[in-house]
Amino acid sequence: MTAAPNYDPVSLKILWDRLISITDEGVSTLIRTAFSTVVREAYDLSVVLLDTDGELLAQGTQSIPSFTGSSSETLAHMLAKFPPESLAPGDIVVTNDPWMGTGHTYDINVMAPVFRKGRIAAYAMSVTHLPDIGGQGFGSEATEIYQEGLRLPVLKLMRAGQLDRMLIDLLRMNVRVPEQVIGDVMANVACVRVLDRQCNTFMDDYGITDITLLSRQIRALSERALRSQIAEMADGAYPGEMTIEGVKAPVTLRCMVTVCGNSINIDYAGTDAAVRNGINVPFCFTIGYSIHAIKCVAGAHIPNNGGATRAISVTAPDGTILNAPPPCAVAARHSVGWFLPTLVFRALAPVVPEAVQADSGMINMVNFRGTHRNGRPITTLHFASGGLGASADYDGEPTLSTPSSNAAIPIEVWEAATSITMTRKALRPGSGGAGAARGGLGQEVFMRNDTGHDLVVNVMGVRTDYPAKGMHGGGSGAAREIHVNGCKVAQKGRLVLAPGDTLERYEAGGGGFGDPDARPTDKAIEDKRLGLV
Amino acid sequence: MPYRIGVDIGGTFTDFALFEDGSQEMAIHKQLTTPADPSTAVLDGIATLLADNGVAVGDVDTVVHGTTLVTNAVIERRGATTGMLATKGFMDIPDMRLELRYDMFDLRLKYPPPVVPRYMRAEVSERISFEGDIQTPLDPDAARSAIRELIETHGIEALAVCFLHSYLDSRHEDAVYALCAEEFPDLYVSTSSEVFPQMREYERWTTTMINAYTRPMFDRYLGSLEDGLGGLGFTGRFYMMSSNGGTVTPDLARRFPVRMMESGPAAGALMSAHHGRILKIPDVLSFDMGGTTAKGALVRRHEPLKKYEMEVARVHEFKKGSGLLVKIPVIDMIEIGAGGGSIAEADDRGLIQVGPRSAGADPGPACYGRGGEQATLTDANVVLGYLDPNFFLGGEMPLDRVAAETAITEYVAKPLGLSLTRAAWGIHEIIDEDVARAFRIHASERGFDYRGCSMVAFGGSGPVHATGVARKLRIPRVIFPLAAGVMSAFGLLVSPLSFEVLRSNLVFIDDLGDDWVDRYLRLPVDQACGYLIEAGIPVNDISLTLRLDMRYHGQGYEIEVTLPTDCGPDLAGVTALRPHLKELFEARYAKVFSEVFLEESLEVMNWKVQATGPETAASKGYAVMDASPEVTGALIETARKGNRLAYFPEAGDYVKAEVYDRLALTPGAEIPGPAMIEERESTCVIGPGDVACVDAHQNLIVELAVAPVDAASRHEEVKA
Repeated sequence: MTAAPNYDPVSLKILWDRLISITDEGVSTLIRTAFSTVVREAYDLSVVLLDTDGELLAQGTQSIPSFTGSSSETLAHMLAKFPPESLAPGDIVVTNDPWMGTGHTYDINVMAPVFRKGRIAAYAMSVTHLPDIGGQGFGSEATEIYQEGLRLPVLKLMRAGQLDRMLIDLLRMNVRVPEQVIGDVMANVACVRVLDRQCNTFMDDYGITDITLLSRQIRALSERALRSQIAEMADGAYPGEMTIEGVKAPVTLRCMVTVCGNSINIDYAGTDAAVRNGINVPFCFTIGYSIHAIKCVAGAHIPNNGGATRAISVTAPDGTILNAPPPCAVAARHSVGWFLPTLVFRALAPVVPEAVQADSGMINMVNFRGTHRNGRPITTLHFASGGLGASADYDGEPTLSTPSSNAAIPIEVWEAATSITMTRKALRPGSGGAGAARGGLGQEVFMRNDTGHDLVVNVMGVRTDYPAKGMHGGGSGAAREIHVNGCKVAQKGRLVLAPGDTLERYEAGGGGFGDPDARPTDKAIEDKRLGLV
Repeated sequence: MPYRIGVDIGGTFTDFALFEDGSQEMAIHKQLTTPADPSTAVLDGIATLLADNGVAVGDVDTVVHGTTLVTNAVIERRGATTGMLATKGFMDIPDMRLELRYDMFDLRLKYPPPVVPRYMRAEVSERISFEGDIQTPLDPDAARSAIRELIETHGIEALAVCFLHSYLDSRHEDAVYALCAEEFPDLYVSTSSEVFPQMREYERWTTTMINAYTRPMFDRYLGSLEDGLGGLGFTGRFYMMSSNGGTVTPDLARRFPVRMMESGPAAGALMSAHHGRILKIPDVLSFDMGGTTAKGALVRRHEPLKKYEMEVARVHEFKKGSGLLVKIPVIDMIEIGAGGGSIAEADDRGLIQVGPRSAGADPGPACYGRGGEQATLTDANVVLGYLDPNFFLGGEMPLDRVAAETAITEYVAKPLGLSLTRAAWGIHEIIDEDVARAFRIHASERGFDYRGCSMVAFGGSGPVHATGVARKLRIPRVIFPLAAGVMSAFGLLVSPLSFEVLRSNLVFIDDLGDDWVDRYLRLPVDQACGYLIEAGIPVNDISLTLRLDMRYHGQGYEIEVTLPTDCGPDLAGVTALRPHLKELFEARYAKVFSEVFLEESLEVMNWKVQATGPETAASKGYAVMDASPEVTGALIETARKGNRLAYFPEAGDYVKAEVYDRLALTPGAEIPGPAMIEERESTCVIGPGDVACVDAHQNLIVELAVAPVDAASRHEEVKA
């Protein structure tokens, strides 16, 4: 039975905003307590509230997009093992299974049922990228999931507030930086507890007895708002295709975006098969970024929830790289998955030219493992973003990641944390694709191994063979290049830097938009003056 | 007895407070700001204020000044032609920023350009390691020719010197500073180690660039003020309010104009803290709402909470992350895009959206009758009966109630199928909720328990919304100071001279030796005290506050731990605190985050020293001269102006509310809600069941009735 709408536009606005602010408070708890650099500096996290229908109700504003579509699936897996009636106050359920969670073992999903007067009123969940999970370490070299570290099925981390010591010991034994990993798991626990407490306060404050009735109305409104935007797009089936770097061979992704009335289907038939490297994408991750793409062109302002995604369906044939089953290796699933918005933009370019964006240079995540010159172990990621693609009348911003938001790690913080010296971090002039609107610039990032020990580096470079393409006549951005001691090396895989060796990264530029000859003169002059071209 | 004057320049008005130390009496004055040369209004106003009150300029011993001039110069890009000298390989950091998106779905993100364009930056070979060792010595010849080139080609007037790890070792930056002093004496030079020696290059360098960029302008401004004050015959001391609520000498303000960024708003928070002190209320929420923005601050144990970073010149409405990040000690303000001009409309979800877009002052709300068509918060407040259309600005500016009704009907009520009243109430209520939410998140992030606190409300729209916001936060008491419109000027006078120095220096607490105080605190203590001694404060009158930013090793965010000591510059007794650092940290950690402690080692990241001079006479209290009517012991009846219908959700409808003249109310008066208490700049809305009392200082103190059932939950009852 669906309840009739009970809240008028005034009440609903107030209640809805308050629910989102509860998840925002969870995000700030995570950022302040997490050890993982990628969580606190790069917001590699998600905080959500789900209703008792198991549907997403609210998501923290700073959550990264991949988790948009996945949380209700994750919850369903958790409840399949621990049905609601078996849960008690103080229980904490976890998993990092890539196919149940968010696509790789690094992401720990932590859930607490929100109890209200002895009954479950909602579910609080948070996800963060752990500093380590054992196995080979973060990278794309694994051939099977079994090499990608500890894979936790759905488990109870806490039973009625009692921590499962065995699980903690198991974690401690299997990871490289145990204190930090356990610290981050506990940061998630603190986060879902904040959500639990705030949810109860919220219900007290507004005299709410059933959050799910409210949630249904929020979801219905969101669904209607997105559908009305989709309805304005011309019906039709729009194909998209792109080839990107694989590890051993290039990978071709294909999509057919079908706009039909007020619904959109994205089908990835024709996409290449899964590969024997950690770049395969579990379907949950494919769904997340497909939804993200549509939300960027229609309904960006509609808060994330189960309703805001209902008008979008996603399909991908089993066994393709975008629907890779176990035991495929998936640690670097983002190095393929992050291209999905661009692929969808390419398909929609003829339909909504004003709303889409040319290809972006994308982020480069490089994993470092070794020993600090103070003797402590290092296992960390370094991010550096390429340039954003241009849009109609919009020059791409330099050095900004997309679709995920991953901030740079400050040089001074990086050096203190790793004893790896940065020798250059600068814009890469000329790397933005030409166009009426110019693509964003990439960057040059040079480092020297001053740790006094060998340093193991995993690179997962994309845009190395297939640079960011322009749109509607715009030119391509410059391709990414990775060098060691000044010589170009393999663009994906494992490198060992001896003490004193240098690593030089040239991060990719974004694609241009529109005919370069149509670029306004004042902008062309300013580009020259600033030395950007 | 000597007099002191506070002058606060706002966007529209410049406010003045004249305070007599002996009698503790205060006179006020207000006049239009003169944007072309703000010092004109300052000097005119001081002359007027003195003449009106028959005070000779020779009797004024102190003038304290607050201004948003520095912030405006950055927003409007009116600073100097500025260059930057960076460590080789890193001059593009200002363009690359934090590489952080502030919106996940916006494909057209915009950021403010750095104040120093790329072609006015140069690099020099030098490098200091994170351990403070020189890896590459500075090449002074290269520095010299790079600076000369910037001067000759671009005519730079100011220079920001920005080297990596200079927070730890400033030798290279100092060398460039010395070189400039010698060879380019007209250049305004700011080094990043002097401006704010904290780790994280983007923020430190941005702060330094903004400091350099605003120095020449601010130097000239202070010069013309000093000349002007001298011209009036003023021979006393002249101080500036800094962003963290401490006053500084003009010399210090000239060196660090970036620290004056929130100079004006800081005074408002100080004023709130001050009222808490007089009324013996240690924890206060300061709430100020005007035409376009609402500002809030938390006051804990009589001190406004502080922070060490702020954003300026946000380009994407009020979105966090869309501005320039500067690191300064600053009163920790909430700023949200909610004010009288906030525009209300129906969004595509079928909900009311209010703000952050604002109709501003021109055309302004529909009821101004200046061509504004869209519905605004002020229109809603007129429709709800909170504002009297015939008594806006004391009746100087009649409002058009029909226009307000039409705007709300057309833009909100009709599209959403709401009644006019429900739509107007919705607009009002959504703003209350936005403000309450901002306070709630702000407080929880800082481990501040606001339940049981009092709120101090001021600004043009603050008193209209204060009781509503307080109810949502379950705050039992709201204080409305008299003449709240100029109270910031008084706030300037309550603060002593003070300066804070911060240094990053990462160290494990287990590694702190017996000499830890000398090794880590002595330098910042000497610097902070040095600035006060320069200003003529005797060393024995200086008190210190020592704060350490601590964290578990590997954690990215620090917890601020205030050392429990009231030592002077000799740091007596501080050494013995070493064994207690862990428990001090854990106590704060538990309060802010959780009871979960870790086995990871603890480290100190930043060492903060605040040196403070003696308290001012105004910190005790004040009375407003000539504000009360001649008749003493007046009955409340003389203050009653009549009544009008106003909407209160508790009553479920419009009800008759008594209307009072704020200035005619005398101490001891007690007024039950629903009531409106009007003064020229604003109206205090008192809800049914609330009781307002006038205290000895003519503050209006409202004790709130028990929190009513929220509007939202009334709708849940419909269901079932």
